[in-house]
Amino acid sequence: MKVGVEIGGTFTDLVCIEESGIRLTKVPSTPRQPDRGVFHALEAAAIPLDAMADLAHGSTVATNAVLERKGARLALLVTEGFRDVLQLRRQDREQLFDIFYRKPDPLVPRYDTLEVPERVVSDGGVVRALDMAAFGPVLDRFLAEGGHGAVAICLLNAFANPAHERAVAEWLAAHRPGLPVTCSVDVTREFREYERTSTTTLAAYVQPVLDAYLSRIEERLAQGGFAGRFSIMQSNGGRVPATAIRRNAVSALLSGPAAGVTGAIRQASLSGHRDIITLDIGGTSADVCLVQDGRPELTREARVDTLPVLMPMVDITTIGAGGGSLVWVDDGGLLRVGPRSAGADPGPACYGRGGTQPTLTDAHVICGRLPADARLAGSMKLDAAAARAAFAPLAAQLGLSVEALADSAIQIAVANIVSAIRLVSTSRGRDPRDYALVPFGGAGPLHAAAVAEALAIGTVVVPPNAGVISAYGLLAADYSLYDSLTRRTRLDADAPAAVRGVLAEMLGGLQARADAIGLGEARRAEAVLEMRYVGQAFEIPVPLDLAALEGLTTESLLDAFAVEHRRIYRLGAAGQARPVEIVSYRVGLHVPHGSVPSLAEIAGPPLTVPDRATTIFDGGRARAARRMGRAAIGAVPVAGPLTLDDLTAAVYVPEGWTAATDPSGNLILRRGA
Amino acid sequence: MSDETRLNPVDQAVISQALLSAAREMGIKLYRSAYSSVVRDGKDASTGILDAEGNAVAQSDELIPMLVGSLSITFRSCAALYPVATLKEGDFYICNHPYHGAHHLQDILIFVPIFYRGEIIGFSAAVAHHLDIGGGAPGLNSSATDFYQEGLVIPPSKYNLAADWENEGPLRRFIGANIRVPEQTLGDIDSQLAACAVGAARVTEMCDKYSAATVRRAMAEMIAYTERRVRAAIAAIPDGTYHGEDAVDDDGLSDAPLPIRVAVTVQGDRMDVDFTGTCPQVKTHLNAPFASTVSATLACVKAVLTGGDVPFNEGASRAVTITAPKGSLLNPNPPAPVRARMEASFRAYDVMLKALGQAMPQHAVAPGYDCTTGFCLSHLKDGRYRVFIELRDGGYGASPRQDGCDAVAGPLSNCTNTPVEQIDADYDFFRIETYALRPDSGGRGQYRGGLGSVRAYRILDDGVRLAIYADRFRIPAAGMAGGEAGACGSCLIQRGNETIAVRSKDDVALRKGDLILLASGGGGGYGPPERRDPADLARDRQLGLMRG
Repeated sequence: MKVGVEIGGTFTDLVCIEESGIRLTKVPSTPRQPDRGVFHALEAAAIPLDAMADLAHGSTVATNAVLERKGARLALLVTEGFRDVLQLRRQDREQLFDIFYRKPDPLVPRYDTLEVPERVVSDGGVVRALDMAAFGPVLDRFLAEGGHGAVAICLLNAFANPAHERAVAEWLAAHRPGLPVTCSVDVTREFREYERTSTTTLAAYVQPVLDAYLSRIEERLAQGGFAGRFSIMQSNGGRVPATAIRRNAVSALLSGPAAGVTGAIRQASLSGHRDIITLDIGGTSADVCLVQDGRPELTREARVDTLPVLMPMVDITTIGAGGGSLVWVDDGGLLRVGPRSAGADPGPACYGRGGTQPTLTDAHVICGRLPADARLAGSMKLDAAAARAAFAPLAAQLGLSVEALADSAIQIAVANIVSAIRLVSTSRGRDPRDYALVPFGGAGPLHAAAVAEALAIGTVVVPPNAGVISAYGLLAADYSLYDSLTRRTRLDADAPAAVRGVLAEMLGGLQARADAIGLGEARRAEAVLEMRYVGQAFEIPVPLDLAALEGLTTESLLDAFAVEHRRIYRLGAAGQARPVEIVSYRVGLHVPHGSVPSLAEIAGPPLTVPDRATTIFDGGRARAARRMGRAAIGAVPVAGPLTLDDLTAAVYVPEGWTAATDPSGNLILRRGA
Repeated sequence: MSDETRLNPVDQAVISQALLSAAREMGIKLYRSAYSSVVRDGKDASTGILDAEGNAVAQSDELIPMLVGSLSITFRSCAALYPVATLKEGDFYICNHPYHGAHHLQDILIFVPIFYRGEIIGFSAAVAHHLDIGGGAPGLNSSATDFYQEGLVIPPSKYNLAADWENEGPLRRFIGANIRVPEQTLGDIDSQLAACAVGAARVTEMCDKYSAATVRRAMAEMIAYTERRVRAAIAAIPDGTYHGEDAVDDDGLSDAPLPIRVAVTVQGDRMDVDFTGTCPQVKTHLNAPFASTVSATLACVKAVLTGGDVPFNEGASRAVTITAPKGSLLNPNPPAPVRARMEASFRAYDVMLKALGQAMPQHAVAPGYDCTTGFCLSHLKDGRYRVFIELRDGGYGASPRQDGCDAVAGPLSNCTNTPVEQIDADYDFFRIETYALRPDSGGRGQYRGGLGSVRAYRILDDGVRLAIYADRFRIPAAGMAGGEAGACGSCLIQRGNETIAVRSKDDVALRKGDLILLASGGGGGYGPPERRDPADLARDRQLGLMRG
């Protein structure tokens, strides 16, 4: 039996895969004691701990530790002269026109930062040697006065020569045994000191919290006779055994959205779609991610609470358009949707929890696209009258009917989402028309067809049980390990040998780690070179075919660079005669672990809803439509307009679109069929 | 606009959103593909959609504030010479003339007409700062006495993409022949044209979906919408005339300060901004052409009155009239040089901040350090120039609600610093030894000004030159409501036992072993220092940021 447990802010979702099919369980989260939430969900699903062969877990505990500043008091050791690296940041600001702009508080205050008398330069040379005999007593006094619970060390250019970081760490191991110490070189070996220091402090800060949390879970699992594998989701879309994530705690930050994308990729690939745009619309926001050939785009510019994290993370763009987004008119008379939200409490007016302001979910109820008596998760009944009452004052102000205003609000929300997808795809040199749209989350399938229409996307793939796809994603995820290294390599005649050498060392390191944590032998490696013209400000990622590594030539490296360069820069590679260099190397190692059935194979009877006529409001007018259970849609396409009831996420199929269920259980919407 | 021609609210909202989104998409296209670090790191660029008469409708709001609201000025110079009615598909306007709406020669503006079924619906526009535009010296020609010495001048012109630019066309070759690093500048012009093509494609799609007439109406309504929102914000200010005064340290030749004065008159829902009383133009490159004055003024109005939520366009210019005397530092006559126009522009921003602070006490903010500290180290070795340029930070002013932000890019720009490890890898003739906050540099007050920072550069070889333009080395950011002034900036060279003071506008030959200490200053404090909360005092002491 394989079990995935995803703890979200409101609900904890559990997906259980066994011989007889897939089971889903949803229980309220217990934010104060998240580790108990795991066992609540297991109890609710009546799963004996000793019956699980595989338990995959995604949790917000690491992220929350940062957001709430709940971690240990950290000491930060930096190169002399650079004590304020966390306060100075990159000098720019996040809001351009805010006269009251403030930087967020760093994880380590100034008085907990100690300068180390040393200096290493970019080629690893030492221009100021570290004298531990002299520095040791200074460090000892500093730690004695501060009473710090953990130490982070990030010295300039340590990725080129870690000797000084190691010397300090060894001194600490000898003189302060038991004090957790994190060296930057063990977290990330990339240049740019602010981002690397931020990442190192985040790792040191989160590691003890995560360690304690996982230990509590492991202890209880052991008591219950659990003998399977316990693994943790990472923000890169892969998972690792719980024992291994402690060494690399930052990779557990922001793992929830990555799990959703991973689940959507797996489910869409069952229908043969590997180039997809995922669209996750929940209560407060819409998350968009571009997936190329079954691999999500990874970003190196991720942030947690505005603090940069140099870790590969699934590149997800978030905009403030969710079911709870408020509909309002600004002081210039323009109709707006979001970014303010009614949130989970009170939530949309139709939830009947005291919300009186109009929201996007209310708009769908008014327009008949979300049937008021639909059985949603938690068996909540929707109050259509409350939704109409919430829209009435604004409709009167604008001289519109309640339906027309609600319909307008949906169109505006769709326009906002469309803008976000355009920006995400354009900035990567991609055309959205080449992709299938894969919606999930409670409100994704309600908007997907309209979003696709506006982007001229012809196919929408709605996964079954689209509301619990994150928990499914935990089980669908490969085991993944990543490493990166800044090492400048000029593309000259010596480059192929140098590239082979660096990659062999990095991949060897990953293989050793995979061996140490007992991962399977079916391993797939990948490599990306960050390249640029010498003197250019930014490098671009160039994927390298490892199968062709032996035959690598300077020309093939230049060609690979030119292809990516043209795609992003569009107007050819100006200055082709200029020298090219590799700045950084990134490698990944993925270990798949058996197949996962489609999320469609649910044990138990499907939701049945009688096929009946209904009226929906769309495009400024009322239309006759059909309403039926999603399970009633078979292989033969059914023309919209349709509203489909589903256990976790209602689907809306507009006029001009058809819906059919394919053998994998995905609902395929097609335009103009 | 009568009710018949008004669009329904959803089409208006959706088309407005789409136009803004198109401007943003153009911006991303431009800075992601640009070669120059000023565009990529500094976002020193702007993109937008204009209507068929050249009124700005939507401008990217993620690039720097300094280019807000001045696109239309250049457009009008171009359209006056080459009327819109005479344009054909493939034509474009191009101009970098600082006396025809450009800020300085480094900023090249391009306007591409958007045709729909043979008719011009509007224009897409892209402006970018180019590192090399030729001229009297590589990098920075601080000795220029007129703008001809500052680089190649492109007057308001019309060219054709196929005939003049593509396939090594004559305009491309002409520009390329006049500059030192042609592939970089030409590549960035390519990026500007590509950004304009994206904008044109989006507007064309909108016309397909809604009809050209609807898109035109939506553009007009979007301008009217911004005007309404700006006017609503102005109407909330009590009628009256409010004043602000500050000064640029000097012109780099003498020690005389260069005063900048403003009178802001609010009457009902209109605002008149008058810079009468500002000093005459100067001989050095500190003059700010009028387009820069317009942008600095509108950027301050936007920051103080409406924040980020109101998309600025021609509507803002209709609600706010701006005048500056001809021949003054903020509206110079040709051929005065203008390369370092940012110092005067920042002071224009600061006097606006002071005047609007009187008008709206709840939005009052003391001036910050607010300088462009352009710092350049160059080294000639084996016949090859290596040039390092970076822009520094400063402290922000305090307000009645909180301390000013420490060590951050000036409010009209948003340039990042250069990582020390990147400098270590790229330059072998100097090394950064210190980069730290500057304790006690914020103006004291009930709320203190933000701190400046200090950066120390060790020179590792002979033959290195330092060029700098900066400000507030002698006239600090003033305090407000009893708060004290922030510290001034400074640049010192430590050479053995000797300390050499560098002026704020200077050019110095360095020696191996020199240590340059470049300090940015702090922001002004707000309110009397004795009213500061003891807890805030204690925290600053504990952090080692302020002694008192």
